Amino acid sequence: MTGFLLRRLLLAVPTLLGVSAVVFATVALVPGDPVTAFLGPGAPAEARQALAERIGLDRPLPVRYLDWLGHALTGDLGTSTSTQRPVTALLLPALGETLTLTAAAFALVLAGGVLLGTLGALRPRGWWGRLCSAASTLAVSAPQYSVALLLIAVFAVHWQLLPAGGTHDAFGSGGGPGDLLRHLLLPATAAALVPLGLTARVHRAALSAVLDGDLADGLRARGLGRAAVLRHCAHNASPALLTIGGLQLAYLLEGVVFVETLFAWPGLGRLLYDALTARDLPLIQGGVLIVGAAFVGINLLVDAAHALIDPRVRG
Amino acid sequence: MTTNRLPIGVLAGAAALLPVLLAVAAPLLAPADPTAGQLADRLLDPGSAGHLLGTDSQGRDLLSRLLWAARPSLTAGLLPVAVAGLAGALLGIAAGLGGRLTEQALLRTLDVLYAFPGVLLAIAVASLLTPGLGATVLALSVVLTPAVARVAFTETRRIRSAEYLEAARVSGATWPALVLRQVLPVVAPVVLVYATSLVGLAIVYAAGLSFLGLGVAPPTPEWGAMLDELRPAIFTHPWLAAAPALVILGVSVLFNTLGETLRAQVGNRAAPGVPPGEAEGAEPRGTEGTPPQERDAGHDSTTDRDPADGPRPVAPLPAPLVVRLPSRET
Repeated sequence: MTGFLLRRLLLAVPTLLGVSAVVFATVALVPGDPVTAFLGPGAPAEARQALAERIGLDRPLPVRYLDWLGHALTGDLGTSTSTQRPVTALLLPALGETLTLTAAAFALVLAGGVLLGTLGALRPRGWWGRLCSAASTLAVSAPQYSVALLLIAVFAVHWQLLPAGGTHDAFGSGGGPGDLLRHLLLPATAAALVPLGLTARVHRAALSAVLDGDLADGLRARGLGRAAVLRHCAHNASPALLTIGGLQLAYLLEGVVFVETLFAWPGLGRLLYDALTARDLPLIQGGVLIVGAAFVGINLLVDAAHALIDPRVRG
Repeated sequence: MTTNRLPIGVLAGAAALLPVLLAVAAPLLAPADPTAGQLADRLLDPGSAGHLLGTDSQGRDLLSRLLWAARPSLTAGLLPVAVAGLAGALLGIAAGLGGRLTEQALLRTLDVLYAFPGVLLAIAVASLLTPGLGATVLALSVVLTPAVARVAFTETRRIRSAEYLEAARVSGATWPALVLRQVLPVVAPVVLVYATSLVGLAIVYAAGLSFLGLGVAPPTPEWGAMLDELRPAIFTHPWLAAAPALVILGVSVLFNTLGETLRAQVGNRAAPGVPPGEAEGAEPRGTEGTPPQERDAGHDSTTDRDPADGPRPVAPLPAPLVVRLPSRET
């Protein structure tokens, strides 16, 4: 088990390096010369040379990459050009907000996905099965920004049931856990729909396979009731659920760009949107890097959990 | 078995063709100029006289804008899929037929690209370019190519030691002839079906990029950009703001249904949508245990279940992000 985890951990290193290289390249390849942008076109050659040396542009690209990587590893991602604050200081609080939203959405994904998948697997034929398929197709096809706008239009503006944005009410009972939940419901739903549909599909496929297999036949032959058969079969179908669940968790991280922007949720996604609008490259770079790293980290965790559940994986 | 499946495929195809036809016929169908507005008529609600779907914040007819917007929006969805289909097929075949070094180089590069959430990679690429249709198409092509390449690679590897391929080699077939006449006929249908299932996703991504201001520049109508333009109006005119959102949702559903139907028709071999993440590159977590798609193949042939509700693990939407194909290393 330890050996397996170590191997996985080592395999993540080249991936992370690749991610960082792509992120670095996005800034290094950006059209336009930063020296000219800073000093203006008429600046004397000595001044240009001095500035290029000061910000390190005179050095070869690989050296600059290693330098940048070294700083990134120590938590220094540069200074945001639009706010003049350290990128890390902006990213960390936003990461916390994003994780709150992601956790809420993930709870919805698991609950809804397992429910829809189980319902579909229990009655695969007829109109019921079709209804479940249609529901997951609809969920899978629903872009987060569309869902977000529709939810705001219906629940926040038309019926005025739930808040349209933010993390807490400015007045009154603002700040309590109930208040946070009320503010979480709509954005979490908008973020959860696509992963929910995918999870439902995969769980349905895995569960049907087990329910049609020898295990289920054997359990039924021994006289177990439907609920008991389902319970045992669900356990055997759980590795697929775990894998898809983990990947959906990672997928939620990208959906938040739209959801957070539309719901004014002060997380990474909204920060990234603001950075894009201001063409704040260090901030874009840092945001993409942190999400990419989270993506790799989640995949690693899924592998570890998979190995815990299914001993065959450890090999 | 295929007899009762065919009409569904035709139906799905016809339904997906609808937005394309509307886009082509936009000049004939649009009741007004999509870029000229009357400021006096701004933000009229749907159902207003002369403006079936209302007007936007500059008094431009919303229906006309939505119709005209179908052109860049669908182009930005279809073109990257075509580019990625071609580039991915070539890369995948090259890696599948090439030596171990080519194979590893490709797989490792794909792994890095997979490590990025698709939208973020698209944002990273598009933010480097001048905003516009070209930037969107290029960014999405980059995002989609790895997934297609993986599909083409798996398919090529499946047949690379086939006897007919060996026979062609022995009889002196040149590489281009081998690829064009022996490999491509096998790989192309699979790639085509897979690419179709990416169109819905590409349209959603393209509109998303425009929403973030990385797509076509105003005043050209585009669904994602319209979403952004109408967003401030949501508190006063929620249904106006919801209109482009509904259109994108509808088109996405149509194309995803087409993709799924095609996948189901062509069968499991062409449906590389194993449960996303079931397996990955060279050190697969999917080699242990049978991939669910194979478990499915068994009972699928024994039932005449409708493909649409068959328990087949198809994963269309974030496919490029999460579909990891099982590689069966011997």
